[in-house]
Order: sequence, then C-alpha cells, then structure tokens
Amino acid sequence: MALLQISEPGESSAPHQHRNSVGIDLGTTNSLVATVRSGKVVCLPDEQGRCLLPSIVHFESACALVGYQAQALQSSDPLNTVASVKRLMGRGQEDVIQLGKVLPYEFVVSEGSNVPRIRTRCGDLSAVEISSEILRALAQRAGQSIGGDLDGVVITVPAYFDDAQRQATRDAATLAGLNLFRLLNEPTAAAVAYGLDQDTDGLIAVYDLGGGTFDISVLRLNKGVFEVLATGGDSSLGGDDMDHLLGEWIITTAGFSDIDAILARKILIAARTAKEQLTIHDVAVIMIDHEQQWGHEIHRKEFEELIQPLVKKTLLACRRALRDAGVGKDEIDEVIMVGGSTRVPLVLSMVGEYFERKPMCEHDPDKVVAVGAAIQADILAGNKPDSGMLLLDVLPLSLGIETMGGLSEKIINRNIAIPVTRAQEFTTFKDGQTAMSIHVVQGERELISDCRSLARFELRGFPPMTAGAARIRVTYQVDADGLMSVSAEELTSGVAADIVVKPSYGLTDAEIESMLRASMEHAREDIVLRMLKEQQVEASRVIEAIDAALAQDGENLLSESEIAQIRERRDALEAVIETASADELKRLIKAIEEASEFYVARRMNASLKQALTGKKIDEVDV
Amino acid sequence: MQAPDFSQTYFELFGLSPVFDIDRARLQAEQQRLQATYHPDRYVNADDRDKRVSVQIASWVNQAYEILQDPVKRSRYLLEINGATIPDDSSTTSDTEFLMEQIELREEVEACRHGEDPLRKCEQIEIRLVQRADQLAAEFVTHFEARDLDAALLSSRKMQFIQRIQQQLSELQFDLEDF
Repeated sequence: MALLQISEPGESSAPHQHRNSVGIDLGTTNSLVATVRSGKVVCLPDEQGRCLLPSIVHFESACALVGYQAQALQSSDPLNTVASVKRLMGRGQEDVIQLGKVLPYEFVVSEGSNVPRIRTRCGDLSAVEISSEILRALAQRAGQSIGGDLDGVVITVPAYFDDAQRQATRDAATLAGLNLFRLLNEPTAAAVAYGLDQDTDGLIAVYDLGGGTFDISVLRLNKGVFEVLATGGDSSLGGDDMDHLLGEWIITTAGFSDIDAILARKILIAARTAKEQLTIHDVAVIMIDHEQQWGHEIHRKEFEELIQPLVKKTLLACRRALRDAGVGKDEIDEVIMVGGSTRVPLVLSMVGEYFERKPMCEHDPDKVVAVGAAIQADILAGNKPDSGMLLLDVLPLSLGIETMGGLSEKIINRNIAIPVTRAQEFTTFKDGQTAMSIHVVQGERELISDCRSLARFELRGFPPMTAGAARIRVTYQVDADGLMSVSAEELTSGVAADIVVKPSYGLTDAEIESMLRASMEHAREDIVLRMLKEQQVEASRVIEAIDAALAQDGENLLSESEIAQIRERRDALEAVIETASADELKRLIKAIEEASEFYVARRMNASLKQALTGKKIDEVDV
Repeated sequence: MQAPDFSQTYFELFGLSPVFDIDRARLQAEQQRLQATYHPDRYVNADDRDKRVSVQIASWVNQAYEILQDPVKRSRYLLEINGATIPDDSSTTSDTEFLMEQIELREEVEACRHGEDPLRKCEQIEIRLVQRADQLAAEFVTHFEARDLDAALLSSRKMQFIQRIQQQLSELQFDLEDF
C-alpha cells in the first residue's frame, strides 16, 4: 500500500474517494450490520428502529422474508421457515441427518452433491443459499441507509469455524453479490471494538458466551496491532444450556411427568423468561399453564447453584487458552465480555473472580462484534489510510493429511499465525506406485476417523519408482481468512497437482470442541493405538514383500524346506496381525527378517549375476 | 510491491545477529513491522498478483517468526544455516547417559499423577526442567561458538527432549489442577 501517493504528470490526482463498507455479524440467532459514519460506528436499524435481525428466513412462493416477518410465520409454516441455518453451514449429509432429528425441516439428499438441502416451496435450498438471503437483507438495509452501493463487507465467523464452514460463509457472501474483504473472527472483532475506543496496549482475553457456543481468545494489543495468541472454546456451552438446566429444575420441582412437545416448549420458554428476570431481580416467579396452573418462585441463588458447574467449565477452557498462549492469568490486562449470556450476573462475577479483574462490558454484548467488523471494513476499504491497525489471526484447528493405517500426520498445528505455508514430504509405499490419494483433515486427534474430513484429492502420473524413492511434497497454504489450499508435487520428476480444497463437510463448533477435548482425554490411548497401527502396517508390508519375492524366484533360489520355514513365520505373523500387540508384532516382524536374511542375500547375488551376464542393468529387478 | 530478499536468513530478515541469544523485543517489534508491510489486509484493493504475493511473503515472515521465537527450532535453524545436517526427529541418540535421563524424567512425570501432592511435585519438576533447559541452551551456545556443530546439535536435541517433557508436564498439570 502506497503511503505516499505521487501522481505522475497527466494522471488525475483526485482525492481519495470514500468507499462504502459495512461489517456484518452473521449470527445463529440474530444478525446485525454496522458501518462507520463520520468517524463513528453505528449499527444500522430497520424501519422500525430495530438493529437486530432475527436470522430466520421464510420462503414465500415468490420471495424470501427475512427477520421478524419470518419469525412470525415460524409456528404456522415451520417447513418453509428456516432458523439457525448457521448450524448447517459447511456440513455434510450425515451431519444434517443427525440434526434432522432436532430440526423440523425436510432434508433432501441430492445425488452427486455433498451439500444437503432443505425442501421449501421455493425449491431445495442449501445452507449457503439461505444464509445469502440474510446477507442480502442486511446489505439492502445498509444500501438504503448509506445511500449507495457497497464496495465491500467484512463478515464475522466464530473463531472455531473450520475450513468448510468458512468456505460456506464466503460462498454465501458471493451468492449475495457482496465483495468480501475479509472473514473476521468474532472475538477479534470484539477486541477491535474495545481496543480502538480505549487505546489499550497489553494482553486481553475475549470471553464470548452466546446461546449455544462458547469462545475464548487471548490477544496481544500493541500500537494498533491485534495479535491473536490462542483461541479455544467449548461449544456445548451456552445460554441454551442454562435454560435446559432450569427446565429440568422446573420438571423436578413441579413433578411433571409425561412431558409432550407442547409442555416441553412451555417449560423451556418459562425457564428462559425466569433466567432473564434473574439477571435484574433476586427472585423470579415461574408460571406454567398445563392442565392446571403451576406457579413457583425461584431465587437467584438457586439458579446460580444450577448453572455454576457450567460457568466453571467455561473457565476451564479459559485456562487452556491461557496455557496455549503461554501467558499467566495475572498477565491479562483486560477481559472483554461478548454474547448475550454474559449478562447473567454469575457469569460476570465468576469471570471477574477468575481473572481477578472487573470484566469490560461497556459495549452492548449483542452489538460489539458487528461494531468491530465495521471498523475493520472501513480500514480495509482504504478510508483510513493513516490507520496502523492490523489484525493478525491464528489457525483454530490443526491441519493434517491421512497416512498409512488411518493416522493423521499434522502439517500445521493450531494457534499458528496465518497466513501460513507449510510443506511436508512423503514417499511411496509400494514399488511402481504411480498415483497417490491425499486426504486432508482438520482436528487434533491422531486417528483420521476422529478428525474432520475436509477433502480428498488424487495425485497422478508419477514415474514408477521403487517404494520409498518418490519424494512427494505436499504444500498447505492457509490465507488470512483461514481458508486453505493444497498443492502437491513429486520432486524428482516435477509432476505437480494443484487443488483448491472444496468443502465436503463442515464441522459443528460442538464437534470441534468435543474433538479437542477428546484429544486431550485420549492423548495416551491415541499414542498406543498409533504404535499398534504402525506395526500392523509394517507387518502387511513385510508379508506382501515376502509373497512377491517367493512368487518371483522362491523356487529358483530356495529349497523346499527353506520355503516352508519362511512361509511358517510369514503365516504366524499373518494369523495375529489383527490381534497381537504392537510389541508382539514387532517381535514377529524381526523374526521373519532374521529368518529370511539368507534369502535376501541370495536374491542380491542372483540379480548381480544376471546383470553381469550381459543384461542391461535397468532390466534387473531390484 | 517491494518484496523482501528471500535468500536472506530469518535472522537477517528480522535484523538480528545470527546467534542463539536474540533480542526478543526486537523480534516481536520486527514481526509486527513486517506484517504491517506485507499482510494481505494491506492489499485488499490491490491486483490479484500483488494479493498472491502478499500471502506468500506474509506466510514466509510468519514461518521465520515461528522458528526464531522457539529456542529449539532456533537452535536447529542456526545449525542448519551454518552447514550442519539435521537428522529427522525419529533418529535416536546413542548417548546412554542422556537416554537414562530421558527415561527417568518421563517416569518421574508419570509418577506425579498418582503420588502425594501431585501439583507441588509437578512444580518442583517444572523448576528443574527450566534450569535444565537453560543449562542445555548455555551448553549449545558454548559448542556453537567453538564451532563444534556436532556437539551443538546434540545439545539442541537434548533441548528438544526437555521441551517435550515440559509439554507433557504442562498437560499433566492441566489435568490435575482444580479450582
């Protein structure tokens, strides 16, 4: 970026034109749009003066209704009214079938596509398309308010969003006809909203407790540079869980049994109302009309006892993030609160107690993310050429590729600064192998089946070489949006394949979190399993090599009893390959190798002899 | 866009002397200055070529930073640019004394889990590990300055092992801590 623009003679030296930009918080429950107007950030309201837009889309035969209008039609026409579509972003068929049990929509499994669709009267629609309706509604609101076309937008995503979910969000922006400047992590956006107001330098923690997810990020601020040091979370945690806990309390206290869907809904609504009342009052009255009316008082203390373990769990995630960032909690200068659930007094007090300082909550926790996004959008648009603000983010989940035995070989570890490029070399497994399939996964666990599959791609056309001779370099690049591309090349021949990863699935925050947590819990099991898998792979390789050799020249070079002797060991290994321990396999492999040493020597002599009797060297099998 | 010289070493890129004990404040300040110059956010409105190049440069700078800020990676990199061949992680050491130390430390960390007052025990091990890491780093510097790259490599590998044990201990502490 040219800080000093020197205009050439004849070139126009028009002053910088203001470019229209907005920040969009595309939320699960509500979405917002904000912009910078004469140096101040404003959330743009609808005609009724409401800033929040419920993230609900209703499909009429001719058009889509978004927001409050759609919300009003939710109960009368549930199949054509889609809420919480963010949970479906970047998700595959299997995930959606899982969610289909919870969500009322009719999901369509279309052939030849990995993207599940919801059947509406406007056709079968993907999450990307539905999200794009929300973006379109917000862009339209912004266009009217600003009075012109938008030059670019910044859209926020949870820090924990994986590649597929980010890609889906970007696709939704494209579909809505928006020029996406950047995908911005929500906690970073919140930090920007606070950071520029306060002009703070130092370490800050962003505690983001929403309806269904929890995010924690640790950032370092230094002269306008926002550097994310670590990010983490626990997305099975959120305000909804508090409602459920209180709901269970109501069921027990009232002694309800035979709870049908209608009563369950009433209980949940009553619980949510009580939770909200307890934010301001010490006592709330819960009333439920069911057969006969049931009413009960609940004190804030009782409610706090219920949710205390839940808040404690968020603090565990905070501790993990601090450890990942390599900072002590006493080094944290500010704690920023984001998300509607941080209004709960116990959350505020426990977070304050843990970090030993009063959390900052001057900004409306529902708006702060959109505000930060608007500030970045304004800077990226070039409206503030003197701004030194820069956001440096990290990769939320490790990237790896599948290796033999269903294991993940990590290439880029989580919490590495992005953009980032990493390369790793692999080799071939079999003689004459000319193709290779690369399976890209995201997650912390050692086994592929415990990570999230992102994509598979094939490298073809290597010249055939002996096993282990090919040098295949796989290069991963993660850009500033957290989006990955992969390229691969066989170095000795220069055969290259270049593939942009297309999402085949997406991950829920919950899955990511449970993967992360499970990886910590299972770290030891994983190591044992990894060693076993490695030995099993090695055993298969040895058996294959022996079979191939015996078929080729066993009868020429070995006596019958020698063949029988090698076969016996080979069979002994094969018999226990699935059942033996890693150590046992290792021992058996070694036994075979020792027993066939003489055979290997004879083979080498034989091929040498062959070479010396006038054959060309490249005709000799090695 | 004025691209940096990709043939320079990471130390040169960050304006640091090619030694083990680096000026950390300088490293951090330079990282921010370099990212402020090359980060893709600075090229949002540039043409596609400049956008691509900026991702490449910013990645390279991040990679350099990642290596320089980590003592083990820094020591290996120092050896590498001084012509040493770095064996891969899986190769083993024949230093039996050090092998014994490895085994003992691993067992000691594992034993913490079930022993009495495990957190206190962890803390004691932690202090020892920090001292050991410092000692090995000093050893590395001595060998490196004497141009005994083989000995320096051995120190670097020992540092790497101590770092792994530190990570293992940190995971354990995380499991054990109760608040």
